[in-house]
Amino acid sequence: MDIDDLLAEVAIDSTPRETRDLQELTRCWVAERVAPEILQWPGETMDRVLERVRRQIELVEDQTGNMDPKTNFKLIVIQTELERFKFLVRSFLRARLKKIDTHPLHILNQHNASLASPRPLLSPSEHQYLTSHQALLSSHYSASFLSQFPASLQRLDDTTGGISMVDKPDEDRAVFVRCLRDVGEVWVEGTDRRFEMKRGDVWVVRWSAVRGWVGSGDCELI
Amino acid sequence: MYGEIGNKLVQHAKRTQSLAHLPPYQTEMVRAVAREARDLDKDVATILEPFAGSFNPSAEPATACALLVNHLCMRRNKRCLLAYHRVRTDKLEEMCWSGIDVLERQQQQSNKAGEGVASMGPDSNSSSLSPEEEEYVRQYSDLLAAYKGQWTDIDLTGSLEPPKDLFIDVRVLKDAGEIQTEYGAITLTKNSQFYVRQGDVERLIAQGYLQRLS
Repeated sequence: MDIDDLLAEVAIDSTPRETRDLQELTRCWVAERVAPEILQWPGETMDRVLERVRRQIELVEDQTGNMDPKTNFKLIVIQTELERFKFLVRSFLRARLKKIDTHPLHILNQHNASLASPRPLLSPSEHQYLTSHQALLSSHYSASFLSQFPASLQRLDDTTGGISMVDKPDEDRAVFVRCLRDVGEVWVEGTDRRFEMKRGDVWVVRWSAVRGWVGSGDCELI
Repeated sequence: MYGEIGNKLVQHAKRTQSLAHLPPYQTEMVRAVAREARDLDKDVATILEPFAGSFNPSAEPATACALLVNHLCMRRNKRCLLAYHRVRTDKLEEMCWSGIDVLERQQQQSNKAGEGVASMGPDSNSSSLSPEEEEYVRQYSDLLAAYKGQWTDIDLTGSLEPPKDLFIDVRVLKDAGEIQTEYGAITLTKNSQFYVRQGDVERLIAQGYLQRLS
């Protein structure tokens, strides 16, 4: 640990929770939009943000009708900020939903595997959406044509013939990452590329090579 | 030839992706592809019958090859059908998200078609969705409404453009009646212009009642 780390820690503690949550949410939002895979559901941050959004909405509702120009102006500022927060959350949720809709079965498997860990991949409501949507789709398929197929071909997650029907996102897609801490040597699987990632560096790498560090917060996607 | 109709279906799906509306459901083709798969399955059964479960592929390479082709064709047909239906359901979901009432629109279209050209035969006033798809849309809208209900503060179907201003200029394209805002009620009459809060009128813009002025 050197002086930079110490300074960084002091800086983090002195910024208020709200600002850090906003940073966190923005980071999650950016990461979710560029990462090929769905990322962990940031439950605690989301709970805090949503709680604050709810309080601000109440405040706005309370204060409207107050004709004092000063509060009126304050309200406009609050509402503008609220709209921005709502946009962030909305866009974040929609980005996740889009991924859930594109690779439902794959994500469901991943989610079930992550259930044992303290932080599951999906939020409860996302999981519910995924399962009901999948149920809808498969009943639609079978009503439309699958029921007329031979029984051996009716499954949607068939893996016979060495090809799995379950579609996966492209984990080798290139992403831009910025290192927040020294990571050390990174090795890209399947190639003989090795390189050193230092704090502040920006790299274009395969997602599969840096996934772990993004998860642990050593790197951020940009 | 094997898989030819399946191919046509996929081409259809590809075309559908770039269309604004949903072309009619190809009931005939879907049926034909499913029938082909069933026939192939029967073929496989007849080929295998004389062997009574003790078929050795390396002893009979010709039969094995025929079987393989049949199997592959069945799988391919299934894929084609899945792809075709998936493209259509994706399209329908997109409409649900953007707040278009698909079923109502379908009805209007079929009514119009029915009034205009009655001589075009019984097909002209049928909906472009299959009955299964209509059911799917209904259930998906319910699902979406349930999911959205958990995020009432956020308004999930709202605009995905980052907000710049709290208030925007809008022009009224169609009479939309009176709306309640926190600054009082506004009566939206055609061709009038207002400076209103974006959150209040977002739905009306999406439904085509208002036009946003930049």
